[in-house]
Amino acid sequence: MMRRRLKPAPIALLLHALTIALAVGCGGGPPPLNLPPHAMVIRLADADDVPTLDPAAGYDTVSWTFEQAIFDTLVRYGDGNIELEPDIATAWESSPDATTFTFHLRGDARFSDGRSVTSEDFRYGIERVLKPATRSKGMEYYRGIAGSADFAAHRNPHVSGIETPDNSTIVFHLSAPDPIFAHKLAMPFASAIPRDVAEKWGDDFSRHVVGSGAFMLRDWIGGQRLVLVKNPYYFAKPLPHLDAIVESVGVNQELQWLRFDAGQIDAVVDIPPAEFPYVMKTPRLRELILAKTTVTTRYLGMNCQMWPFTDVRVRRALSYAIDRHKLIAILNGRGVVARGVMPPNLPGYDPDLKGYDYDPAKARALLEQAHLARGFEFEIWMRADQTILMLAQSIQQDLAPLGIRARLKPVAWGPFLEAIRQPHTVQSFMQGWEADFPDPENFLGALLSRAQWGSNNDSFYSNPEVEQLLGEAEPVADMKKRYALYDQAEKIVVADAPWVFLYYPVTYIIRQPWVHDYVINPMRPTRFEHVWLSPHPE
Amino acid sequence: MLAYLVRRIVFGAAVLVGTSVITFAIAFVVPADPAVAMAGAKADPQTLASIRSEMGLDQPLYVQYARYFDRAIHGDLGRSYIRRESVTRLIADRFPATAVLAGAAMGLSVMLGIAMGAIAAAYRGRAADNILLVISLALVSIPVFWLGTMLLIAVAATIRSFPLGGYSGATSLVLPTLTLALGSAGYYSRVLHTSLCDAFDQDYVRTARGKGLSRVRVMLKHAMANALLPLVTLAGLDLAGLLSGVVLTETVFNWPGIGRLAAEAIFNLDIPVIMGTVLFSALLIVVVNLLVDLLYAWLDPRIRLAETG
Repeated sequence: MMRRRLKPAPIALLLHALTIALAVGCGGGPPPLNLPPHAMVIRLADADDVPTLDPAAGYDTVSWTFEQAIFDTLVRYGDGNIELEPDIATAWESSPDATTFTFHLRGDARFSDGRSVTSEDFRYGIERVLKPATRSKGMEYYRGIAGSADFAAHRNPHVSGIETPDNSTIVFHLSAPDPIFAHKLAMPFASAIPRDVAEKWGDDFSRHVVGSGAFMLRDWIGGQRLVLVKNPYYFAKPLPHLDAIVESVGVNQELQWLRFDAGQIDAVVDIPPAEFPYVMKTPRLRELILAKTTVTTRYLGMNCQMWPFTDVRVRRALSYAIDRHKLIAILNGRGVVARGVMPPNLPGYDPDLKGYDYDPAKARALLEQAHLARGFEFEIWMRADQTILMLAQSIQQDLAPLGIRARLKPVAWGPFLEAIRQPHTVQSFMQGWEADFPDPENFLGALLSRAQWGSNNDSFYSNPEVEQLLGEAEPVADMKKRYALYDQAEKIVVADAPWVFLYYPVTYIIRQPWVHDYVINPMRPTRFEHVWLSPHPE
Repeated sequence: MLAYLVRRIVFGAAVLVGTSVITFAIAFVVPADPAVAMAGAKADPQTLASIRSEMGLDQPLYVQYARYFDRAIHGDLGRSYIRRESVTRLIADRFPATAVLAGAAMGLSVMLGIAMGAIAAAYRGRAADNILLVISLALVSIPVFWLGTMLLIAVAATIRSFPLGGYSGATSLVLPTLTLALGSAGYYSRVLHTSLCDAFDQDYVRTARGKGLSRVRVMLKHAMANALLPLVTLAGLDLAGLLSGVVLTETVFNWPGIGRLAAEAIFNLDIPVIMGTVLFSALLIVVVNLLVDLLYAWLDPRIRLAETG
């Protein structure tokens, strides 16, 4: 009796599992792309899923890569530089005191659903960012527009400082001078957004985006792929050259490399560190490389409110004790030794800044002056990442001969950010900063002013002289004078050494020989309007 | 039997409520400000304050939990801090891929495990048994991330008929299925081997042999029936684990399942997605366990009788 009951059950279980797997598995996977046979399609891959396509929400490289392909802003940066150039605005002017900015829009721009782009669409885009319910990451950049606080507090249905006298003009009135305001309008947050579409989809707008950029969303399968196709209404005809961009998501670095090697993807941004020396030694691959120094600074932050880094001599000692050339060697040459806060591509960069050379004897002398000749023990926090850990280990080795025992603490990105913002929690940390717009304020003001304690000034550094210079420089529209003030502030910061300035990263991208006009921008993701492909094997 | 079923369902519901309380509490214990997670590394204090107020994070904890629980039982697991999308939808999008992989891996591992275990037991103490013992131990010991990477390099990169990762139909299923199934198959074969060897020493098997039945028939019709019982429990628990997502295999093979979703959420401290995937996994484990218990009771009358008695 028992035998009869037992016999079929496991077999049935097995067959059932197999049937489900084969039935679903054979028909599984994403639907086919259904692009025309000779379509010019660039195939890309990324380890991260695309977080969002909503310009109000995205604030990361992957999201911006596609947002800037789908949406237009008033102004934008050149493909390979950080000079402002027209996008939808054909011309713009600002008042001498940098409180009023007027933009004149082109008349032939259309959204991918065919509707014309007007000044109202830009007003709506910025108001959407300023609306607290949107929870936008970009709201801080537009709070300087007059009336934004009343709008955010629901006291006014519109931001009074944005005027749209006609469909092709938009005027911004600021509550205080901001000479770099136009740069803030080049961020995807300030894209033209069609109100009807955004309001129809609400929180799901990201899945149904409609923009006026060179491409439009065709399909997006979470965790698998994102497909953009040419926007037939794009104003800058005959651009774009590509018919489609296909991004495979969740593809780890090693898998990306295997697919590139097999000719299955057309460009790789993250060459695996283990493969990099081989790529550079192989002429066939080396000539496919593009490289550019980014507007980014990587540093070891020291908490100026925590022992022993309350003493400037200790901070300077660490600055002399760390061999930055060794760090660059660990990065396989993918970096430039840092001398100060501002990276070389940033306007206002001071090429004469000396910074700190590797000089262990000076470091030892400074420690003796600080009564720490026998060294000390401290903790370095960092994001849990293989490369960052290797760099930290190199720093740990450099400090050991001075009796300084550095304990390394790798943690996940979220808790890391949370911890370094606490005033008395983290003694030191490995961090970096990528420019949002090309101005010294975005480094010195954003990272080292007293107002940024608990936010981005994670070394809790403050110097009244620096504060005064930053305050003085912020409203200055004369760029020569402005940069001179920031340079002065930077010199003081370098002397105070709240950070050990480590390196400015260099981005390396490898693309297939059939990919043309693919250009690296030092501050933004690559744009695809001008990219084209010559015939190549599938 | 009905009382047993009701009792198990109530117990399962209690487990889910407990899980929701624990995951919710953990969300407040970990040093992660949801406003920072949502606004990103560069947000200023004013932006963070505005987001906190919008999200109701200034409400008392019990109010926030009550709101979360109420939404959860209606199938709404909140919105991702990073993607701003519905967590329920994210899980629903990713589950089919995980289910396909779990089903295929389970099928293959059970088949291989039974075959290897049966052969090893049939040749107990002989060379074939020893060879299969070594093979199964090797399969259990190989880490999945290594096996997966090796299969990608050695098979997919050289034999182009297998895709280099991704989820694109039957061929893309082969390598991740092998990666997941081989380890379990080794384990199942050892368990079955032991159970079969025990069964061979039982009176009913000796009786069957005494009746003149062939060795194969004795094993398949008599010994196997009882020996498979522990395998049902093991496979059930494994299936629940597989359905909850297999982080390493999904990451290595770029498989768009629950495991990768959870791993990404943990990395980004996307608390609603972490809570959602944990709750969903708990639900799967409770449901699969209940099914295994019922299956067990159906398979083994002694259990059924004990429950009804």
